[in-house]
Amino acid sequence: MSKNTSSFMVEIKHHKTVQHQPNKTLLESIEQHVEIQYHCREGYCGACRTKLLKGEVEYQTDPLAFIEDDEILPCCCFPISPINIEIS
Amino acid sequence: MKYTTFNQVNNNPLLEPMFFGNPVNVARYDQQKHHIFEKLIEKQISFFWRPEEVDVSKDRVDFQKLSDSEKHIFISNLKYQTLLDSIQGRSPNIAFLPIISIPELETWVETWSFFETIHSRSYTHILRNLFGDPSSIFDDIVENEEIKKRAADISKYYDDLIFATQLWQTLGEGTHTIKGETHVITMRELKKKLYLCMNSVNALEAIRFYVSFACTFAFAERELMEGNSKIIRLIARDENLHLTSTQHVLNLWAKGKDDPEMAEIAEECKEQATQIFLNAVEQEKEWAGFLFQHGSMIGLNKEILCQYVEFIANHRMSAIGLGQPFDIKNNPLPWMNNYLSSDNVQVAPQESEISSYLVGQIDSEVNSDDFGDFDL
Ligand code: FES
Ligand SMILES: [Fe+2]
Ligand SMILES: [Fe+2]
Repeated sequence: MSKNTSSFMVEIKHHKTVQHQPNKTLLESIEQHVEIQYHCREGYCGACRTKLLKGEVEYQTDPLAFIEDDEILPCCCFPISPINIEIS
Repeated sequence: MKYTTFNQVNNNPLLEPMFFGNPVNVARYDQQKHHIFEKLIEKQISFFWRPEEVDVSKDRVDFQKLSDSEKHIFISNLKYQTLLDSIQGRSPNIAFLPIISIPELETWVETWSFFETIHSRSYTHILRNLFGDPSSIFDDIVENEEIKKRAADISKYYDDLIFATQLWQTLGEGTHTIKGETHVITMRELKKKLYLCMNSVNALEAIRFYVSFACTFAFAERELMEGNSKIIRLIARDENLHLTSTQHVLNLWAKGKDDPEMAEIAEECKEQATQIFLNAVEQEKEWAGFLFQHGSMIGLNKEILCQYVEFIANHRMSAIGLGQPFDIKNNPLPWMNNYLSSDNVQVAPQESEISSYLVGQIDSEVNSDDFGDFDL
């Protein structure tokens, strides 16, 4: 959890690169900059499913929605390194 | 294979497939073959709510203010939602429980269905508030052609699986003639029926509700029918979880993480699965046409609603490996997301008017003055 105080760069494919805001989820950090879908914001619906191209994230709540191995749920994860993502 | 309510074979449930293995014996959750179902059970139970906790009394005043075409939209939606939850409150239990082989999935299905019955009860709560006697509304659900058409399409996959399972459980595999009709029952056929049924349920949970949800929330955007909207938000939260569960089942099969034969069937029946989804999309669009036949409502019309169905379908279909068949890229109803998020959905006594709680309060506020005329 403490790792979430750091602020890594988030490179969004076909969009700009934004900085992750400490203490915010990845979704909260990027949604002002780019259109990204969400419903539940709690990791159980899968609406925010996003491809993680590079880097690592960590979850604070157990994600319940189905995701592929190369996908993440921005609504409940935090980057723990600089990351590259692709929003579908 | 005959069903038994307590299978006495000392089997290892961690080695059973989700379906068509041994019937479940001990209901134990300390170990799970597929942990996800245990997590879904916990999450669903944490969502527990009661319709009576939401005060819908103000909706009665709002409803009188609606135009006739808006009343048609509102009531038709409730009828359709009532139909869907009538089916979902029983069918997963009847179709899936007799063939499930792991306890965590068995309990997930029971928990899931139980919440569908809460949804059904909430429609009665909403309608009773609006009409006093809602009988004519309920009666129309089995008369209305638009609704019946949908009912037939949704229940046919369930009914097909249920009937084949009954034959298999009583007569076993083979060719059976029942009342002059021949039925070939093989394990492969049963599994195919299960696969198609699961796809039809997935499509139901994934998109069938969303035309109705959009209408409900479009009223709420105008600060109308907000009690109803609060209830539908609670329902939508549950539906998201149900959808997640059917996506997990389908993906566990397709990725060969459960019964290997189901992975073959998923490959073989991909075209049919896609068609089930596309049919549901078409029917929802037709439904939008029926809703708006007497006129649109502010903020919503048939075209936008149809685009929204396509947008949602793209998302849902890609989640189960069926690609994104529609061109639409941007969400045509961005405000929907606010209503579908779990923030502020919680029903807590301090933040919402709870009618049952108020009833209790009124009852207890009887003081000694009320008995002033009584001489004991
Ligand atoms: S918004 Fe529901 S899983 Fe992220
Ligand atoms: Fe439901
Ligand atoms: Fe459901």
